[in-house]
Amino acid sequence: MDQSVAIILAIFLPFIFAILVPYVEKIFKHRIGWYASFTALLTFILIATAAPSIIAGKTIQYSVKWLPSVGVDFGIYVDGLSLLIAFLASGIAIMIMAYSNEYMSHKEDLAAYYKYILLFMGSMIGMVFSANTIQLFIFWELTSITSFLLIGYWKHKPQSVYGAKKSLILSSGCGGLVMFVGFLLLRSITGTFDIPTIISDPSMINTIQGHELFVITLVFIFIGAAAKSAQGPFYIWLPNAMEAPTPVSAFLHSATMVKAGLYLVARVHPIFSGTEAWLILVAGTGMITMIGAGFLALRQTDIKGLLAYSTISQLAYIMTMYGYTTYQEPGIGVAAATFHLLNHATFKATLFLMVGIVAHEAATRDIRKLGGLRREMPLTFIIATIGALAMAGVPPLNGFLSKEMFYESSVMMGNNLGAPYTFIIPAVAVLGGVLTFAYSIKIIDGIFLGKRQDDHLPKKIHDPSAIMLAPTAALAFLVVLFGVFPSIPVNLIIEPAVAGILLDTVSLNVKLWHGLTPELFMTVITFVLGILLYTKYDDIARWQDRFNVRHPGISINYYYDKIVGNATYNAGRFSGKFQVGPIKYYIIPILLLAILSILVPVTLLSLEMFPVTLNFEIPPYELIVFLLIIITALLAAILPSYLPAVIAVSAMGFLVGIVFIFLLAPDLAITQILVETLTTIIFVLVIAKVPQTFKENITKRILLRDILISVTVASTVFIIMLYASQGIIPPFESVSHYFLEKSVLLTGGHNVVNVILVDFRSFDTLGEIAVIFLAALGVYNLIHSRGERK
Amino acid sequence: MNIFLLLTISIAFGIGTFLILRRDIIKMIIGIVILCHSVHMMIVAMGAFDGIKAPIIEGSPDKGSGIIFQDSLSDGILAPVVPHTTEVLHMDPLVQALVLTAIVINLAITAFLLILAYRIYEEYGTMDADELRRLRG
Repeated sequence: MDQSVAIILAIFLPFIFAILVPYVEKIFKHRIGWYASFTALLTFILIATAAPSIIAGKTIQYSVKWLPSVGVDFGIYVDGLSLLIAFLASGIAIMIMAYSNEYMSHKEDLAAYYKYILLFMGSMIGMVFSANTIQLFIFWELTSITSFLLIGYWKHKPQSVYGAKKSLILSSGCGGLVMFVGFLLLRSITGTFDIPTIISDPSMINTIQGHELFVITLVFIFIGAAAKSAQGPFYIWLPNAMEAPTPVSAFLHSATMVKAGLYLVARVHPIFSGTEAWLILVAGTGMITMIGAGFLALRQTDIKGLLAYSTISQLAYIMTMYGYTTYQEPGIGVAAATFHLLNHATFKATLFLMVGIVAHEAATRDIRKLGGLRREMPLTFIIATIGALAMAGVPPLNGFLSKEMFYESSVMMGNNLGAPYTFIIPAVAVLGGVLTFAYSIKIIDGIFLGKRQDDHLPKKIHDPSAIMLAPTAALAFLVVLFGVFPSIPVNLIIEPAVAGILLDTVSLNVKLWHGLTPELFMTVITFVLGILLYTKYDDIARWQDRFNVRHPGISINYYYDKIVGNATYNAGRFSGKFQVGPIKYYIIPILLLAILSILVPVTLLSLEMFPVTLNFEIPPYELIVFLLIIITALLAAILPSYLPAVIAVSAMGFLVGIVFIFLLAPDLAITQILVETLTTIIFVLVIAKVPQTFKENITKRILLRDILISVTVASTVFIIMLYASQGIIPPFESVSHYFLEKSVLLTGGHNVVNVILVDFRSFDTLGEIAVIFLAALGVYNLIHSRGERK
Repeated sequence: MNIFLLLTISIAFGIGTFLILRRDIIKMIIGIVILCHSVHMMIVAMGAFDGIKAPIIEGSPDKGSGIIFQDSLSDGILAPVVPHTTEVLHMDPLVQALVLTAIVINLAITAFLLILAYRIYEEYGTMDADELRRLRG
């Protein structure tokens, strides 16, 4: 199969299969998870067909015209980097959805669950293979939306809804949109949305780096990446996202979606790296987040919360490494970062699935209530130990290797910058490692070692069934495999991925034992300090709790809640003020606006046309009719009883018919009189059934206000008509010419009004009949519905 | 245009406006009816000028009918509707056709509103729009 076709299929297959989920669910019932897992497997195989040529150092590009007017194509760009993330997305999805078969209760809305996950998987794969920024942005936002749907999966839990909203506001609202502006800026500099065109052209990159908009473009795009990967101040959404079902947390919020930000950073690495701005922004944000999140992880009592903070911290490692850059060597940490990206996905997904198992069996995720489960859940214990030790960076697991590479690149970066950074950067890296070590140990110690807390735990706890255990074990196996035989992942996927970022062939040499290097000493220091820190673990956690209680204002969440809460409150107050309920409060602004928008321009534009020629001559019988109209209208308004008021208004209607005669409109006069008769009958029929009066207490203030409004409206009407009748407004040519000229000629009709209605504009009359018909239907149904209620 | 007709239309419009601001549903409907009447008169009056005929053509087509609208204002600005001119023979038929449709539609709307008011009274026992709102909560 052609490789580009396979990749395009891999993008759309999950979407198509997601749409089919509700139908397939009718057949598969609660086993629908296997169908979803199979879809992921299929996608994985499709992506794998592209792998050989990527490993051989090629890239796959393909595009079709999509929006030629703005220069946007639908294009795919496959290189090692996009392949790596796509493998993660589809590969881990296989395990996650197999695992979900057992994890998700059969009573849940399984169709929605798998539909969302498949949609997410498709969006993620679509995003990494996007060849231009517009397409990337669309798929990027799709991942945010599917993540929103999955975090809020348990709609009845307010915490879920809060977490879902928070993730959407921060990652999509604050991040995605800003990133989009960044893309537009990039386009304004380069004149193209196409990513391969930009990154493969050194002269274009030079132009960008020398451009005055360079820094602001970088900042905007980086904000999108940071928000997605929960870096810097945006970290606050990830802990709340843990309200999602645990397989979702494992998949989206540790292994794949949060990697999208890192993917973007890696993708634009060739464009922006090698500059001070890149180093300060990316590496700086990464370092601060790494230490901050690692520190905050210590006080978490919910294991998922702990894993969320550790995810933030681990992502920050990767961010930091991508940030390491110098003029001569723009990608010091790229290899290490990419390797850690893969390793983190494996060990963190293992840990999340392990937590899911523990929560499923022990019915709690609170680390204070757990403990001593090693005998009851030996297999889970082994898996957890592998995952946690890999995160802590203990040999021979894969985390050890990438952490060594992290230290190595930190030392290189420090040496490149010179004193005092020669010391500071490695020290910060070690501090991050120490914190990671401490909370990794806590996971093992808190759940499996120590005393069993019989008060809080069920009597019988055991290892889960194979359906949940096997995917977790498979991931743990990868952790060991990548650690012991690092050349497998490195040769197969890391080297092509790094080559995709650095745009150069690379050859990495990763070995478990690589001599007595500075980074090995740093690892030893990390372990020693980590064990020391662990002895003080509870003290630090307690200190953090006390600090939080004493200074509630020193927290980003506090400000987030304040801003969002105030926005909601003020929006409610604002609309409450304008949407008060009674219709008259809506009518008044509409009238006033109409008056303003008509009266003011008319007066301003045509002041000099005034005064006009007015016709004061009037036959006395006309004057009498006009006076009677005013009197009947007034009576209809002021008579309190309905019947006299209705008589007055229908009298007015007949008088209007007479006015039509004065205006030489005989057809109108007849129609008006007939219709008025019918209206009067309906009026009388209705008011016979309701009370004969309604006393509305009109206060003086309201009376004054309403009269003022009415007088204003009346004067506006008067002025408009006055001007209109003087021929102020330049007209279009009237179509009436045509009707009058052709009436007899074409239709043989002498009454032009009739001819227009039934001949020239007969479709309008059809519409009119339709209105009558609908009104009649409405009346019929309103009366008919009476019987059902009583 | 005749100033008295103009005044009548404006006053009726004002009274209609006053009525749709009421809380009483029946009065609101009466207000809508009055508003419709004045709008109809307004539109027809726009096509009406002194000394012209109803848009009914007499005789054969080749005699008398034909060109009817001619600008007679010295400043060259055309009126949106038929201005005073010696050659005018007919009222503007289009506005009349429009209003004829409007009158009929107005009937449909009035009937619907009235039945709605009647059903509201049956369901909630009130004709007060504010009270209705309270009942709905």
